[in-house]
Amino acid sequence: MSKITFRIGGVHPDDNKISRNCAIETLPLPPTVYVSMSQHIGAPAKPVVAAGDKVKVGQVIAEPGGFVSAFIHSPVSGTVKGLVERKDLSGKPVQHVEITVEGDEWAEGIDLSDKLVTEIPADKDVILEKIKAGGVVGLGGATFPTHVKLNPAPGKVADCLIINGAECEPYLTSDYRIMVERPDEIVVGAAIMQKVLGCRCVIGVEENKPEAIEALKASVSRLGYPDIEVLSLKKRYPQGGEKQLIDAVLHRQVRSGCLPIDAGAVVQNVATALAVYEAVQKNKPLITNTLTVTGDCLPVEKQHNYLFRIGTPLSFIIEQAGGVPEGAAKLISGGPMMGKAISNTDATTVKGSSSILYLSEESTKRKPQGNCIRCGKCSDACPMGLEPFLLNRLYKAGDLEGLEKNAAQDCIECGCCLYSCPAYIPLLDNIRQAKAQVMGVIRARAAAAKAAAEAVK
Amino acid sequence: MTNTVVLTIVILTLVGLVLALILYWVAKKFKVEEDPRIDEVEKVMPGANCGGCGFAGCRNFADAAVKAPNLDSMFCPVGGNEVMKKVAGILGYEVKEKAPQVAVVRCNGSCANRPRTNVYDGVRSCRVKAALYSGDTGCSYGCVGCGDCVEACKFGALSMDPETGLPVVDESKCTACGACVKACPKGVIELRNKGPRSMRVFVSCVNKDKGGVARKACSAACIGCGKCAKVCPHGAITVENNLAYIDFTKCKLCKKCVAECPTGAIHAVNFPVLPPKPAAPAVKPAAPAVKPAAAAKTAAVPAAKSAAPVQAEAKPAENSDKKEAANE
Repeated sequence: MSKITFRIGGVHPDDNKISRNCAIETLPLPPTVYVSMSQHIGAPAKPVVAAGDKVKVGQVIAEPGGFVSAFIHSPVSGTVKGLVERKDLSGKPVQHVEITVEGDEWAEGIDLSDKLVTEIPADKDVILEKIKAGGVVGLGGATFPTHVKLNPAPGKVADCLIINGAECEPYLTSDYRIMVERPDEIVVGAAIMQKVLGCRCVIGVEENKPEAIEALKASVSRLGYPDIEVLSLKKRYPQGGEKQLIDAVLHRQVRSGCLPIDAGAVVQNVATALAVYEAVQKNKPLITNTLTVTGDCLPVEKQHNYLFRIGTPLSFIIEQAGGVPEGAAKLISGGPMMGKAISNTDATTVKGSSSILYLSEESTKRKPQGNCIRCGKCSDACPMGLEPFLLNRLYKAGDLEGLEKNAAQDCIECGCCLYSCPAYIPLLDNIRQAKAQVMGVIRARAAAAKAAAEAVK
Repeated sequence: MTNTVVLTIVILTLVGLVLALILYWVAKKFKVEEDPRIDEVEKVMPGANCGGCGFAGCRNFADAAVKAPNLDSMFCPVGGNEVMKKVAGILGYEVKEKAPQVAVVRCNGSCANRPRTNVYDGVRSCRVKAALYSGDTGCSYGCVGCGDCVEACKFGALSMDPETGLPVVDESKCTACGACVKACPKGVIELRNKGPRSMRVFVSCVNKDKGGVARKACSAACIGCGKCAKVCPHGAITVENNLAYIDFTKCKLCKKCVAECPTGAIHAVNFPVLPPKPAAPAVKPAAPAVKPAAAAKTAAVPAAKSAAPVQAEAKPAENSDKKEAANE
């Protein structure tokens, strides 16, 4: 049993990986796709197609709208119907490109064969350019553009690339499935990123996925990458958090307000490694991803791991998977701990979509809230070493200064405090608000400081 | 024995005297000169310390008023013109009369008008709910109904109507301090001029979606058709981003827009109810748009309103297969 894990906090929810044995199936093409222009953190992409244009699979349909932004490619072939405003998962209006699907014709230059290409381009810039052109973003949840992350600011050096295969969220199995089914591609993808950064590489996988660990280890030794290590980690939530994984693997802490690169680490998800492989070796942009359809009220035979085209409406996937099961009280996109409830199924999938989770009334219903009894369970559970009960109280008092002093801005919104609270106090909801307010203050201060510095010049 | 007692009394008296002298000297020497008018102004203030004027409390307002060159940019919404007149009298300033204002809830998305598309079971806080998602109806602009405004009101002027799920303003208690306006994350509440005998006409909607989308989400939404702007003889109505807005400084309360609005999004409140004309019902079926009589037009409003619930009822059936979800 592995003992490698992060130092403080964490909880042990049931992993409930019910769909772990469902092999990845390719989802049929929907009649229409809606490709969101805000599929990544940063500026929305700028569409470069107009109504009536014919597009092929993998053709660029939107360009980056800023430094932190990404290319978006057509996931299907067909006719662009136009630019429409549709509501995303949380009901906020977002620009989408609507494409009617006609056949499945791929753009030229994309290698669709299954052959593993192991020769990595020699030039670092060529690799980065290919990753950027492929529209690759981090698929671990934050969807941060990968080419930006792999190109650290001058003066900052990474000495370890960590590939995140922890998949610590209960229920989700899409990362597990790609690790079992496509370990070679993941390892080559990791080697590509390793080459860019010029450092060693560790693939961290939680020990509840022994098949994945074995598959990756076998692949590493077969392909002959001596400086890629596959590490078995103790099962503990939120191991897949960037800062927690760095702590577990390297025993280093990322200081408050700093980025992982400041601790000499870059963390990328296994799905991102796969996307990098496809973008660099096969010229295939990020237009597909794996998604789990699962839940506690869904029979095992109805659970799926789908390879879907980005832009497929959620309602289409739900329909393909046999409709909303009886007893489902809540639909969640993402895991049960950090995922977001789906309030409209008209929303479409984006690059970072990882699951559709059906949860029963019993497992999602909030219990009546009690009073804080100062038991300190939330402080014990917080992997960032914060005191959630205190932050909650400061938020209610509107004490922004106190919140900043107590590092509300360091909250990673993992939900461990809410999970462990015996009084069912909505700690996370309030701390999330507090965090947003404190971040606003910090940003305003930074902007004011910048303006003052400009004025001096 | 007696000596000790006398000595104690003498020593304590002396110590007391010395300390009193020191205190007297300190009070004289370090006295903060304060304009006596601040106290006077504070006395006439309502003493609610609500912060509606933009200052932390009544004392701060008085302090600022004394220092200010004029009173043009200062107003106590709670005390209104009367208090401002008194303040101006003390300070010897001129004061402009300001029309009394009242908080207005610009959302008519009641349970009947705006069918719920999902169920929210998270924290009962508008701020939390609005940050999570667009709300439990198809409208992403309107009231989310958790009552942050009710909590913010220090005068008890707001309450949630359990039937409509919307906040209701008690005009007799509202002081237009603006606390609810700040508390509402959706910007639904607005301070508007109270109007003569509290009569007001306003657009009870903040939805900026296109007509069809807005109508689908809420049967009483402003669809931005612009009919009201065309019919308004005073140019008080502007339509921007698919949403009409009535400028209360220009509105002459003719109510033409109210009759014209196809969704009943424009509300006229506190108008006296005219006794129904006996001929009206007979005329109603044959009353075409040609007839410009006010009676026919007012009749059109309830007709539009009564049509609304029918549509609303059709919607849940359409949406029932879409599973509800909410929060996190």
